[in-house]
Amino acid sequence: MTEEFDMITQTVWFQVISGYFGTIAFAILFGVPKKFWNTGGIVGAAGWTVNILLARYANFTPFESNFCASVVITFLSRCFAVIKKCPVTVFRISGLLPLVPGVGIYWTIYYMVSDNFSKAFDTGLTAVKVLVAIILGMVIVSGIPNKFFKVLKK
Amino acid sequence: MQSSENRSQISEALEVATKAGYILLENGAEISRVEETMNRIAKYFGVDSGNYFVLSNGIFATGNSRKLKNKNPNSQSEQFADVKYIPIRGSRLDKVVEINQLSRDIEAGKYTIETAEEKLEEINKIPPVKGWFQILSSGIGSGFFCSIFGGGLQDCLVSTIAGLILWIFVLKISGTHISKLFGNMVGSIIATSVCIVSIKLGLGVSLGHTIIGAVIPLVPGVAFTIGIRDIVDEDYLAGTTRLVDASVVFFGIAMGVAVTLIGFSKFLGGLEL
Repeated sequence: MTEEFDMITQTVWFQVISGYFGTIAFAILFGVPKKFWNTGGIVGAAGWTVNILLARYANFTPFESNFCASVVITFLSRCFAVIKKCPVTVFRISGLLPLVPGVGIYWTIYYMVSDNFSKAFDTGLTAVKVLVAIILGMVIVSGIPNKFFKVLKK
Repeated sequence: MQSSENRSQISEALEVATKAGYILLENGAEISRVEETMNRIAKYFGVDSGNYFVLSNGIFATGNSRKLKNKNPNSQSEQFADVKYIPIRGSRLDKVVEINQLSRDIEAGKYTIETAEEKLEEINKIPPVKGWFQILSSGIGSGFFCSIFGGGLQDCLVSTIAGLILWIFVLKISGTHISKLFGNMVGSIIATSVCIVSIKLGLGVSLGHTIIGAVIPLVPGVAFTIGIRDIVDEDYLAGTTRLVDASVVFFGIAMGVAVTLIGFSKFLGGLEL
């Protein structure tokens, strides 16, 4: 993901904006009500920013940075769910989408199609590893008892 | 008199609860949420011994009232049983939010059975977001996701175009007429073709980034996340069903991309693998 930087789209600021609007666009496709769009966008942007910053400036591997991002997204989703009195799902699903290892999956398909199986296997496993990181982050934060979040209730 | 009144009360309460569960499940809620909501509604309307078994595409609800025993010689106790089959469809989280709110309001005593039933009908009829707006979001989402996955400005533009065209197809054709696997495959073929043609015309730079951005609106995010959620909640049967559903969609997308890549490189020319 970091081989070649586009001068405009790959700056951190543009990435934050992409995370925000990308998440909102998918919130709309999933039928999230209008009043939650902004919050959903913030959750998605926050998660994606954490991922980008850790990967670029703290030398985290994709597994580690995606895990941290997933933790942040699920945690924020649960906080906002309590504050806004709505199901966690509303924020979590579209928030997690930017983390999907799309590039890895694409190259897996590409290498398979071009009969380069060892490379396909490599990229495929890396993509699965990222997926596992996302699931792990989600599961760990989901395990925090509800009581902990009740503090946020007004 | 007493008996018949009680009977209708119980079956009506459970009918309302089942209906709420149906809408929740159909629109992408977790199993635990469905069971909890059904239990909450039925309990408030006076059903103490309700049992709910919820799968990802079916609800089994039973309830009875022991108080009425021996009043009516024909039946020992009043029974209610209902089985509903629910096809796995897309997700409408707005309905999930509304039902969630409704179940809270019911618990707070704001609804009678009749008004709750009316409200359920109302929620079920909430129209989806306007078509053109969905198409627009799909395009914009594709564009920004292309940048998230590392594409440049030109690539984002190509992705946006492909995302728009893809969602027009989804709305007009694939949503209603064809199977999930085939629909996603064709959708992905369309999106990938648009990307390849655009790259050939010199609009985009990096083929991979544009394709990923373009097909991302098809990715089964809801089914996947909810599936994991169900498995964590130990609803294994429902969880695996959802994950299989997500995998089928995913497989369709991957095959669409693969078929198009092969098609363009081997038969139509102009693409090197």
